[in-house]
Amino acid sequence: MEPVQNPFSQQRNSQHAKETAVKVTLILFTYTIIIAAIAIFGKIIYEGSPVLWQKGWSFFTKKPQTLFVNQVEKGEGIEIPAKNFEGLLANNPDAEHWLANVTEFEKPADFIQFDLLKNSRIGSGYLSELESLNPDFYIIYTERDIDSPVGFIIQSDKEFSLPQADYDALKAADPTLLPDEHSKREIKLNQFRITLAAGEYPIGKDAHDALVSTELVFQMRQTFADDEPDKINRTVIPYDQTITVSGNVYFTAFDEDERGTLPLKSMEQIPFTRTFHDFTLPASSYHTLAHALAILEKHGVQHNHDTAKGSIIVNENTRQLTAPRAFWDALTRSNPQLKTANVTTTTVNTPFVRFDISKDTEILLDTEDRESIAAANDATGKFKTTSEETHSYSGGGVIGPIIGTGLLVIICMLVALFTGIAASVFLNEYARKGGFVKTIRLAMLNLAGVPSIVFGLFGLGLFVILAPCVTSTPKSSSAWMVPLVKIGSQPDLRIIEQKQIYIAQHADLGSSELSTLAAADGAKHVYDGWIWLSLQGWGTSILAGGFTLAMMVLPVIITSCEESLRAVPMGFREASLALGASKWQSIRTAVLPYAFPGILTASVLGITRVAGETAPIMFTAAVAEKSELPWEGLKSTGFDAFLDFLQSSAQALPYHIYTVAGRIPQSEYTQPMQYGSVLVFMLIVMFFAAISVGLRIRVRKKLKW
Amino acid sequence: MNSQHTHSIDPTANLSGQAVATPEPEPPKAPPRKSQPPSTRTAMQTSIQNSPEGKTMIEIDDLSFSYDNGKTNTLHNISLDIPEKQVTAFIGPSGCGKSTLLRCLNRMNDLVDTSCITNGKIKIMGQDINAKHVSPIELRKQVGMVFQKYNPFPKSIYDNVAYGLRIQGIKKKSVLDESVERSLHGAALWDEVKDRLKDSALGLSGGQQQRLCIARTIAVRPKVILMDEPCSALDPIATAKVEELMLELRKDFTIVIVTHSMQQASRISDRTAFFYIGELIEYDNTANIFTNPSVKQTEDYISGRFG
Repeated sequence: MEPVQNPFSQQRNSQHAKETAVKVTLILFTYTIIIAAIAIFGKIIYEGSPVLWQKGWSFFTKKPQTLFVNQVEKGEGIEIPAKNFEGLLANNPDAEHWLANVTEFEKPADFIQFDLLKNSRIGSGYLSELESLNPDFYIIYTERDIDSPVGFIIQSDKEFSLPQADYDALKAADPTLLPDEHSKREIKLNQFRITLAAGEYPIGKDAHDALVSTELVFQMRQTFADDEPDKINRTVIPYDQTITVSGNVYFTAFDEDERGTLPLKSMEQIPFTRTFHDFTLPASSYHTLAHALAILEKHGVQHNHDTAKGSIIVNENTRQLTAPRAFWDALTRSNPQLKTANVTTTTVNTPFVRFDISKDTEILLDTEDRESIAAANDATGKFKTTSEETHSYSGGGVIGPIIGTGLLVIICMLVALFTGIAASVFLNEYARKGGFVKTIRLAMLNLAGVPSIVFGLFGLGLFVILAPCVTSTPKSSSAWMVPLVKIGSQPDLRIIEQKQIYIAQHADLGSSELSTLAAADGAKHVYDGWIWLSLQGWGTSILAGGFTLAMMVLPVIITSCEESLRAVPMGFREASLALGASKWQSIRTAVLPYAFPGILTASVLGITRVAGETAPIMFTAAVAEKSELPWEGLKSTGFDAFLDFLQSSAQALPYHIYTVAGRIPQSEYTQPMQYGSVLVFMLIVMFFAAISVGLRIRVRKKLKW
Repeated sequence: MNSQHTHSIDPTANLSGQAVATPEPEPPKAPPRKSQPPSTRTAMQTSIQNSPEGKTMIEIDDLSFSYDNGKTNTLHNISLDIPEKQVTAFIGPSGCGKSTLLRCLNRMNDLVDTSCITNGKIKIMGQDINAKHVSPIELRKQVGMVFQKYNPFPKSIYDNVAYGLRIQGIKKKSVLDESVERSLHGAALWDEVKDRLKDSALGLSGGQQQRLCIARTIAVRPKVILMDEPCSALDPIATAKVEELMLELRKDFTIVIVTHSMQQASRISDRTAFFYIGELIEYDNTANIFTNPSVKQTEDYISGRFG
């Protein structure tokens, strides 16, 4: 008997196959993503975590270190500071095979404490060394002798023959430069007093060239071409003239044997005497004043600058300073006029490690460790290397990039969140629906689609070289500047040295005059006692980078903020308004608090996106290598220091990864750096994302409706 | 007041039967036709029906209102006077403009960019509320509003009630405490929540939340409370409690309520206005409206023939 035919019994098979195929395809696509994710993350963790484990804290140095690969002969009694010994162990996991007799000991080092007295005379090189040894010590501009002293070195004896005027000037400027013995010679010369009649004459090129530098007024009919030295042109002398010329000019321009010379109406010979002083300056190192050196330079002295010798008179009151013994010895030897008091010696014991190398081996050292082991064993010569390879960026150094990225993200998110929340509140709560809002939204969509490298260039153009800046020392290349307030005090000299400031002697010069004067002086900045608003940009700085990143992430932030504002029920706004709240009160108390979780999500998205961007910071903020963190090495104090901090460049993690992965020669030693840096980067981003997600969950729990 | 109260309750008890069964005692007025100029009709009605006994709180005079910059009017020439310390109910089918009118009374319609009053005036306590120098913020402090969907803020009960005072800048704890307690007493909620003032308001039941919203509104001591279908999201028991509360609040506040429930209007209101497609059809004492409507449309609506 036939089974009962249901209308739906036959349909299953054909449809089933199709359904299954679709389902499997979908699953495959989904799993591809998961597999790719696992592969990438797995590879990074697998390769990166041993690097972090092995290198430990030596991976987290401030600056990317160069890795030195040394072939070392066996040796005994090699000394190294204890902290560098740790670095050595971290870089050489196989150390147990060649390391022997490790003993720890304390090595004494002498430090001299002394008071630098007022009116000391000290070489500028030594002064800057002292300033770097004592971080809170520097002599500001007004406390220094401003007569720009310089030091110079002459390699071989130099004979001078100075005319009387220059000799007198040099004697007045610095008599110590002149030797006791010198010879004086007098030379008799002739000058010619000539009179020319008005008229038109033929003239040759030589005569013309000689007459150009005289007081004679004449007008050429044609100009001389370079390739026709023998051509005769015509010249017009407009009126009768009497001038005095030297013998050279006279014999060139008026000698009747030559072609194309001018006829003379009358000529009178005037004899005179010039005095020359001849002396020899022995090869040595000198210090003198800048204008004395300028006179010598005029007479062809070849010299090098001697930074140790250029002395500066310190007017500042007594300062207590510290210096290592070696530097102190050099200082007192080279600066006999130095006034010091209360010189005391303190001995500081530094922990050291002494070890033997039991066989010839290969040792990896980063820059710091290499330098300190060299310094400690230079005298004994026990650390003998037969060959040395260097691999830049391969010796660790991610803490600087981490901090730089952190600062960039903080500045970016501050800017982006303030702007983004303001914009989204306006668009969502205040703006009337219409063309204007539509245009803004369109602009935002466009902004979201702009490639990040374009943002980098935009940031370079806008923030790095054009953004407004309030400063007492504006750049002479500023696009536009306007004076704001007059201040009295002069900037301190460190900044002058650093930025080459042109100091205007006359007040109330216009900005263009200042710029011109500064440019003529070769200075990049000007100072005239005013505070200027100057469109000169913020330079390559974390501020410029942060703003660029903010511009880039703004569309994302605005869109998500708007989304979360829209998710707040209309009832809250109405209830608040019906209770007598003003519009802004109702937004502040009944809308923004409940949009907060959404805004938090937006900022998480923003943080993870901007932390990973390379292109926008390439031109605006990031440097490949910097030995100081952004807040270190600032030359100013107080609020100025904060501004300087914002205007300092930084290393950044994505840029660092780009550098180690793509811009340096690759070797087996660079690879661990790549994986290590990427792993660190990933962990940081994950950490921040986790914190923000956790925070969001907590806030969301509180604010559920 | 009391006598009026009982008087109005009585006939509504058997409202539906009476309204449907008994024919009109008076000859019904012809329902106003569209072609008829509305102004003449409302002017006439104003003189006859729209001035209730007691002091007038809100005067609406020939009001026309548009949601689209005056292209089409949503409300046409409404004129009615709302008495002080009574409950006035607005009834009518959906889309007839009763909520719109209610929201005109505290200028909530300002939130809609394209809304505008095309004709007429609203005076509250003798002051034209749309005059240039009138601040909507100060107005809303005097004319509070309770919404259809209870909308307490996701804060504690205490913070909800204190919200209105806090945005006025009152920070003193003793003042806030006193006011919160008085308002919760006033909203008949104190006994239920006094032990958990710091708990989230969202933990309350629907009826409690709506009463909390009422407490929040009366905390700023308005003169008028507007209620936009306050019980439509509540179950019958919660509704009963809110209605009980309204009868209590009538002693201190002028209440205007929009409702879809004819029973509710008849139970709680002193005066009732019936709207149809943006026009005020009839406005009278509630007893008259439900027992003896003068317009055929009103009778049809309350007897359930349409709407």
